[in-house]
Amino acid sequence: MKTIKSLMGSGTLAVSLFALTSMASAQHIVVWSLDKEHQPAYNLAREFHDLDNGITVEYREVHFEDVVSESMRAFATGQAPDIIAIDNPEHALFAARGAFLDITDMVAASDVIDPDNYFPGPLNSVSWEGKLYGLPKATNTIALYYNKDMFAAKGLDPESPPATWEELVEAARTLNDPENNVYGIAFSARASEEGTFQFLPWAQMAGGGYENLNAPGVVEALDIWKLFIDERLASPDTLTRGQWTSTGTFNAGNAAMAISGPWELNRMVEEAQFDWGVALLPVPGEDAERSSAMGDFNWAIFSTSKNPEAAFKALEYFASQDHRLFPEWGQLPARSDVELPETGEPLKDAALKVFLEQLQYAQARGPHPEWPRISKAIQDAIQSALTGQATTQAALDQAASTIQGILGN
Amino acid sequence: MSRLLSSLRDGKGFDIVLVAVPLAFLLVFSGLPLIYNVVMSFQAVDMFSLGTFNRPWVGFKNYVDVFSLPATWPIMRNTVIFVVCSIAGQFVIGFALALFFARGFPGSSYIRGLFLASWVMPGLVVGAMWNWILAGDFGVLNYALRSLGIISENIFWASNPAWSLWAVIVANIWLGISFNMILLSVGLAAIPRDLYEAAALDGANGLQKFWTITLPMMRSTIGAVISLGLIFTLQQFDLFASITSGGPANSSNVAQYWAWEMSFRQYDFAKGATISVVMIAVVMIASVIYVRSTRHEVRG
Repeated sequence: MKTIKSLMGSGTLAVSLFALTSMASAQHIVVWSLDKEHQPAYNLAREFHDLDNGITVEYREVHFEDVVSESMRAFATGQAPDIIAIDNPEHALFAARGAFLDITDMVAASDVIDPDNYFPGPLNSVSWEGKLYGLPKATNTIALYYNKDMFAAKGLDPESPPATWEELVEAARTLNDPENNVYGIAFSARASEEGTFQFLPWAQMAGGGYENLNAPGVVEALDIWKLFIDERLASPDTLTRGQWTSTGTFNAGNAAMAISGPWELNRMVEEAQFDWGVALLPVPGEDAERSSAMGDFNWAIFSTSKNPEAAFKALEYFASQDHRLFPEWGQLPARSDVELPETGEPLKDAALKVFLEQLQYAQARGPHPEWPRISKAIQDAIQSALTGQATTQAALDQAASTIQGILGN
Repeated sequence: MSRLLSSLRDGKGFDIVLVAVPLAFLLVFSGLPLIYNVVMSFQAVDMFSLGTFNRPWVGFKNYVDVFSLPATWPIMRNTVIFVVCSIAGQFVIGFALALFFARGFPGSSYIRGLFLASWVMPGLVVGAMWNWILAGDFGVLNYALRSLGIISENIFWASNPAWSLWAVIVANIWLGISFNMILLSVGLAAIPRDLYEAAALDGANGLQKFWTITLPMMRSTIGAVISLGLIFTLQQFDLFASITSGGPANSSNVAQYWAWEMSFRQYDFAKGATISVVMIAVVMIASVIYVRSTRHEVRG
């Protein structure tokens, strides 16, 4: 019943056509993105429209929750836009089925876009079987925020944050202070893509990943998460809270450390009444490989586009403006060749350096066309282990066999 | 021609039009989606076949798949608990309040009106509010219970698998009380006063009056309130989305939320449709029971 209702409803779409009087000869492209008026896609689309290059742009704002279902329906009924901004783990869902245009050759011929300039994680998320099916729109990753004042108060060195899992657990135990309503650490193990986003880096650092989720290192990683919950070093609400709410408790001084991304920076600068810093995600051991999560949206051209050249020109324009992403809209470009200007806010500038370093280790989720189902298996494992319904080993074995089934092995 | 026109104005034609308009409306806006949903549950559906009817038929495969998932039976059990407890809570408290306000003390009708505040609030707002009340570390409910000495340690209502379903049930009961109360108040007001006067003359006490007059006279109202309650609880979605998201580990997941998750989180539209069809079947059975139980009723 619900399904049908939502399918029939027109969804929450806001349309804005920059020019209603488009010339007959002009090429017309439609861009769908979740960005609002104060965010990059809306402004870049309008600027491109105003360039007077014979291409008119119709911009449509699609609510975050509806991006995939709206575009699936539009594609199925032959009404897909020319360009779409899509969350990176869902890119392969469309690319693998030929719904997105293979732009490998267009990129090779382009003077503006050079794939080598992009961080490997974001670039991987727009690739499928060696071909490019889009461009990263922006990127983000996660790292460890920590409260320097609390470190100092508990006799820890504020300038040497935990670097390994063991140190992280020790620090969380030392900093945990139930009397004063302070948890050692805040993160999100929610049963949504957020939980997967937060857990996968741990699995990858330990030599696992979604393809081998029951590797010994992954079990160890989940054991540490379970220890955080069982020893009350993190709030039991970690199971149902998203990253934004969890980090809110850090900002309020109710958690001494938090794992989250650069989207927190502006709010933290405003809210946090203490000295804080950001460190790379702790690794399992001294010489272990680093990893982190990779978030944010990608651009793609639908294969049904009637004006693929015009659409690609728009992508070229968007990419050419990547240097404005951070100073004007506070988003991180997915490129290593774009310098971020200083913000004049020392805490933020220091944090950005860490995030930029962490970005080099950021790994795409998948890419795999069945990602939502793979992710669900991972979330189920996390939740059943943390609630004690299954041991970490059993939960991960179960998830691994589900995922092997999806991968067709 | 003129006979047809006059029949349309005042006669059989008029009756037919009166029936046909709502019937057509029902068919287009409820019947077709329902059939479409049932059809989808017997097909293999993916993003590329969303817009067409011409999809491969898979028979009962979706049903077999859904019922062989380990999560299915716990979720079905949760749905039953959610529906039964929500309706029971809403009805009992709503009925008690309706009886209380029916005594007609000064200001009773104003206060009764104020109770509707909970019903007019959007589900998401109610969800957000209960989310704060039930928050584990800093929730008002935990604070109150601790101050009263009832609990010594915070209860994580939304995150503890033992409590999460109950957290949503409590919020849903709160949401539905006023609606139950208003409908039941209307039913109470319709009972002729002289029945009570006659009973009083015969020496009946309060409980006897309630049992032999109020309840039997309210029978059809109660039936309607409970069936509407069944519908409202089975379509309750906002509270799950904002309080527990069905978690942790599906401990507060119910069929309606699960169907949405299947369709719009995992994009498995066929399984989402299958769960909806199972729900429709259950509601059908419930409504048949309701209709049969009220069929022989004597209406005053």
